[in-house]
Amino acid sequence: MTNLDWDNTTLFSDDNPADRAFREEVRSWIADNCPKDLCNRALRVDPPELKPWHRKLYERGWIAPHWPKEAGGMGATLTQQIILFEEMSRVGAPTPFPHGLSFIGPLIVDAGTPAQKAKHLPPILTGDVTWCQGYSEPGSGSDLVSLTTRAVLDGDHFIVNGQKTWTTNGHFADWMFALVRTDPAAKPRHAGITMLLIDMKSPGITVRPIQTIRGDAEFAEEFFVDVRVPKENMLGDLNGGWTVANKLLGSERFTTGHPRNAAVILNKARRIAEYSGAIRDPAFQQRLATLEIDLLAFSAFYRHAASLHGHGKAPASMAPVIKIAGGELGQQASELLVDAAGPLGSSAEDIVAGNSVISPAMDLFEMRRVTVGSGTVEIQRNIIAKRVLGLPS
Amino acid sequence: MELLLNDQQILLRDAAAKLGAARGGPRRARLLRDSKREIDTEAWAEIVDAGWLSALVSEAHDGLGLGLYDLALALEETGKQVLMTPLIETAAATWALSETASGAALAEGKRVIPAITVPGQAYSGQATGLRFEAGALSGTVPFVAFAAQADAFLVTAGAGDTAVLCLVPRDAAGLSMTATVHVDGSTSSALGFAGVKVTADGVVARGAAAAAIAGKLQDMLVLGTAAELLGVAEAATALTLDYIKLRQQFGKQIGSFQALQHRIVNCYVDAELNRSLLYNVLSAWDAGTSHPAMIAAAKARIGRGALQAVRVALQMHGAIGYTDEHDIGIFYKRAVALAAKYGNEITQTGRFSELTQSSH
Repeated sequence: MTNLDWDNTTLFSDDNPADRAFREEVRSWIADNCPKDLCNRALRVDPPELKPWHRKLYERGWIAPHWPKEAGGMGATLTQQIILFEEMSRVGAPTPFPHGLSFIGPLIVDAGTPAQKAKHLPPILTGDVTWCQGYSEPGSGSDLVSLTTRAVLDGDHFIVNGQKTWTTNGHFADWMFALVRTDPAAKPRHAGITMLLIDMKSPGITVRPIQTIRGDAEFAEEFFVDVRVPKENMLGDLNGGWTVANKLLGSERFTTGHPRNAAVILNKARRIAEYSGAIRDPAFQQRLATLEIDLLAFSAFYRHAASLHGHGKAPASMAPVIKIAGGELGQQASELLVDAAGPLGSSAEDIVAGNSVISPAMDLFEMRRVTVGSGTVEIQRNIIAKRVLGLPS
Repeated sequence: MELLLNDQQILLRDAAAKLGAARGGPRRARLLRDSKREIDTEAWAEIVDAGWLSALVSEAHDGLGLGLYDLALALEETGKQVLMTPLIETAAATWALSETASGAALAEGKRVIPAITVPGQAYSGQATGLRFEAGALSGTVPFVAFAAQADAFLVTAGAGDTAVLCLVPRDAAGLSMTATVHVDGSTSSALGFAGVKVTADGVVARGAAAAAIAGKLQDMLVLGTAAELLGVAEAATALTLDYIKLRQQFGKQIGSFQALQHRIVNCYVDAELNRSLLYNVLSAWDAGTSHPAMIAAAKARIGRGALQAVRVALQMHGAIGYTDEHDIGIFYKRAVALAAKYGNEITQTGRFSELTQSSH
């Protein structure tokens, strides 16, 4: 019995007629408008090169599906947001960076002053301004609340001193949203943290790009020496930065944790296995099937979570589960991809297999970050242990 | 995780949980095992009274008209209580017979068990399958669950280039049975058919109709058992969580140790994924949109997850977990039995591979 309709990139998609029409509209628009040379790159597309694509999505009205309409977004349902993401990744199109659109944008919509909204929201939508997130520091990774970059109020300015690191797009960014220490004596420690919006052209900021194991400079470190930040650039309350930041954690996992990320890699593994001959190896077949089954289960959980989210019933346990299961599945898929390529698994060059260009090692390296960035999977497990399973400290 | 269930589903799930709590439980399962009683007859009587055997039968045929998803929610609950009954086998057979012209009347008042090998149940030894020639059945069907407790069997057989679905009384001449006892006290039997005559009305369906009914019946057995197995795993993890919050060593609750926390979190994450997987597959199955590979996937992954969950459960209980006296061992054995039933992880993964391989 053969079943030619198995498609691991649309598992459990159950679009209603309106959603289906939207999907078709998105699909044909992307086919006509997305620059082909940006698609399926082995290395990421840097912000300057991405701007024209960002602009096109903006002009079409699809750049901020998750923002409310009054803020210039689409006010889209979660299903529509997912459809947009799925259709972009279906053709390997780069998705716009989340730091402005998904991280600080919604926080400004939620907690910003009218002046902050007027100043910052429009250029996030148009793509004229690139944002970065200033959270991690050399001494504050998983234990983010220990951060020490100091901001002291001096009249109508904060004076900022310290260092941020692992900042994606730090060297491209026009603005940074940063968590800074405004009360070193505060107990608990998170009660002494404030969120500042910092103009990266301010005097006293030095930015140094950091090359990743992939070979590109995705992130940077920033040094702050007596940087003056106007008081009106504080987002939310003084010492209320932790509260502001925590409103975000969770919802962004719906695109960063989408099962399609792993599905795409598994399909590459299949293609390269046909090229290398691994596809006829029973050991390979069993491993591939096991991961495809994991993908099916993760897709089911993801759909389930998305539909709960749509009903406003999503429990807090959902985001860490997506992070753990999706991240580790992506890693295992990338490891299978390398194995499927045999001796070419370690190739530093692209492999041309039929119509596909595949870089197993690049996917391998890329997938290492997904279990580390924005809260390691170990931290996610601690969260589940304490908050969901009620285990003692 | 919170669920999006309708009122009818919640009602059935809660009724099953109540029945399970009142009648089932590991102590009861141990007692039944030791007294070699495969079916909990008291619980079974209540299930029959509640009408659950006709859960899947359409309302047009005087059934409850529920979906497999609905019934699976009940099975997950009875799984949590290690309730020993042939609920899915009998409900599936009752449904199958209701889809035929003469079957339902013929089976009235009988406990009918499907004697059908499901796809993905490999390693079947010397099984030949059944042939139907000149009005008689020949061949063997291995691993028929609850065969020892059946009044009649529902079988499929090849008849030339077509198929038949037959109802065969247990005491039919030429039918032999060799039972194997499993670690949870359940049995399965190899049925031998040596020219077993089937009356004309005993052939309840033929051709495409017979094949379609048999195919759905097989799916019901696999998915229903997966639901029960998921319940076993969830209960074992819950019991273990209670234990590690209580048990103290080194002056602390052992549940405070990160090594143990992360291991049990993995069981939780896995069960969350498996629950979503099963429910989504069931919902697609009821809607007629499921892919056969999904059914194999559900049994494979729930089997894998359940065995991992009970392994972790036993380990975290330490030495007490190795005793027959402690309840966790009952869950362990039940998981081993249900994981092996109707296709284990290896064979169902292999089937999944076959069904999806050619598609890219």
